[in-house]
Amino acid sequence: MQDLIKYTDNINKLLARFGVKFGIYKNNVFHEQLFPFDAIPRVITASEFEEMEKGLVQRVTALNMFLYDIYHEQKIIKDKIIPEEFVFSSKGYLPECAGITPPGNVYSHISGIDLVQAQDKKWYILEDNLRIPSGASYPLIARKLCRIASPQTYATNAVVDNRNYGTMLSKVMNSVNTGGINVILTPGRYNAAFFEHAYLAEMTHSVLAMPSDLYVENSQVYYRAMDKPQRVGAIYRRISDEYLDPLTFLPESLIGVPNLMAAYRSGNVAIINTPGNGVADDKGIYYFVPAMIKYYLGEDSITHNAPTYLMYYQKDRDYALANFDKLVFKDVSEAGGYGVFFGRDLDSQKKADFIDLMKAEPRRFIAQEIIDFIDLPIMDNGLEVMRKADLRAFVLSASDSTKVWPSGLTRFSRNPDSFVVNSSQGGGFKDTWVLSR
Amino acid sequence: MGIISLEKLDHLYWLGRYSERAFTTIRTFMDAYDTMLDQDPNAYKKVCEKLHIPDVYGSKEVFIINYLFDETDPNSVYSNLSRACDNASVLRDMISSTALSYIQLALYEMVDAKKESFCLLRLQQVLDDLYAFWGSIDDYVESSACRNIMKTGRYIERLDLYIRLDYDRKAMELAYDRMAYRLQRSRAAYDENNFAIVSEAIKKGGNLCSILPNLNSIFKD
Repeated sequence: MQDLIKYTDNINKLLARFGVKFGIYKNNVFHEQLFPFDAIPRVITASEFEEMEKGLVQRVTALNMFLYDIYHEQKIIKDKIIPEEFVFSSKGYLPECAGITPPGNVYSHISGIDLVQAQDKKWYILEDNLRIPSGASYPLIARKLCRIASPQTYATNAVVDNRNYGTMLSKVMNSVNTGGINVILTPGRYNAAFFEHAYLAEMTHSVLAMPSDLYVENSQVYYRAMDKPQRVGAIYRRISDEYLDPLTFLPESLIGVPNLMAAYRSGNVAIINTPGNGVADDKGIYYFVPAMIKYYLGEDSITHNAPTYLMYYQKDRDYALANFDKLVFKDVSEAGGYGVFFGRDLDSQKKADFIDLMKAEPRRFIAQEIIDFIDLPIMDNGLEVMRKADLRAFVLSASDSTKVWPSGLTRFSRNPDSFVVNSSQGGGFKDTWVLSR
Repeated sequence: MGIISLEKLDHLYWLGRYSERAFTTIRTFMDAYDTMLDQDPNAYKKVCEKLHIPDVYGSKEVFIINYLFDETDPNSVYSNLSRACDNASVLRDMISSTALSYIQLALYEMVDAKKESFCLLRLQQVLDDLYAFWGSIDDYVESSACRNIMKTGRYIERLDLYIRLDYDRKAMELAYDRMAYRLQRSRAAYDENNFAIVSEAIKKGGNLCSILPNLNSIFKD
């Protein structure tokens, strides 16, 4: 491992050379920056991964069943497992998707599940990302470069190879493809995750498509190729639901494909992940996932949710008010580490203002116990220091199987006092090793 | 991946043009720099005139820095290389991360070169990266149409610059032959009339500046 660490700068230079960057908008100006890589990996043993894998497969299976149910019979509501208003008031619920069964009956093909490990080594799920979770490309390319920098490290550490992500993803795309080419649809060069879009297109041998490259005719999607139009069978879209089709969602969207939803509704194209998944990764719905697992699979949840309180429920709200300084609050409509704050950090005025807001819009907020998750070592100017880190695990669902990628994106905070690990807020990343022993 | 959209066709063509523009103008700069050392301190003025770019520099010292590195000058080598990099970024799935990395490396070299008092050695490294880029295109890009479109752009740009810079006839004929060979194998639509005018003029020789508009309109991007 020491051998690998001493090449940290070289690996970061290689990452720069390969254009491994993410974009960020500051004051409406686009900046591209490198994503700092720390070579000390997060290590997950084989037995630990086995347990995690079972839990994640169970969780994503139930979430996929939930999505089918919500857009069809809504049994889980009728059986009063989840309150009706909780589902339909979710910003992620799209009435336009009601009654549509996606090809292969898969809704969340790529699920990014955020976990943290507490001091007692127990893993907790922080959130489910079922819309367009990003991040797999970073550990994927980092591993390739680490193996160049320090090959001996991999000869002696029994690390499961993670370089099969492209193959796994391409199998998922093929399994739901309705006939035609696979494309990765990017909003364009100035999207924050553009590197990932382009790199995954390369790794899956898919076509990287800009919105203007696609059009719909007679409910079929086509790619405007130089020679002749190519039919598209599967679209791994990296554009949010609301911008996907201006004729169905936001009419002002310039990055959508007009009539795409008509083609999807006709079963002529697979959209990966399917529109409308936001109802299942809503931070409020998260609370109900263990109940969802019990309901659909008849099993106890293997994964653990962080203890969560819904401000929607009077009892939970009372608890949150009584324990305000011990809790972290999250705005369910925010993402990327935004809309998250610790009760203890608010002054009395801000606290009073927030409580008023919470009472006025209870559905909008959840509170969670603060999990004292373990710090991981990182190198900081030649010194090993400890920093907070989370893990985004990637669960890939094809029409016939659900698998967990034996790796993941470990993000860490570079600020010693911060729990926020998001790249958009200055965090870095590590490789995640799953050991074969 | 051999499926090329019209938008990517445009990016492939301009990747070829901008990478060649950076390459040939660095070589031109190096020659001018050499002349300015001990023969003619105003040699840069002739370069500006031939390239049809405004002489906004005023002195050889300013030219040496700004023509190479000024991010705000659309005619600088840095700007042209940066445009090549922008075009390459959206073509990663077609040209490969490996080929893209050489353009990115060349751009980083330019940034480093700016920090040095005498940058010719660094510029040589940029040229090496661009050579490696074209070598990796041959190795990594499966689609011959894709390679031919890029090379059409490359040789149109080369011929354009050679005409402006008044290169010898043999060099221009060679650039033309390469351009014609790639263009006819690119499977892309092109303007046959403009191509015929350029072909005829190259055969005849003489001052070819008048055919630059035809040359730059051959490829229908």
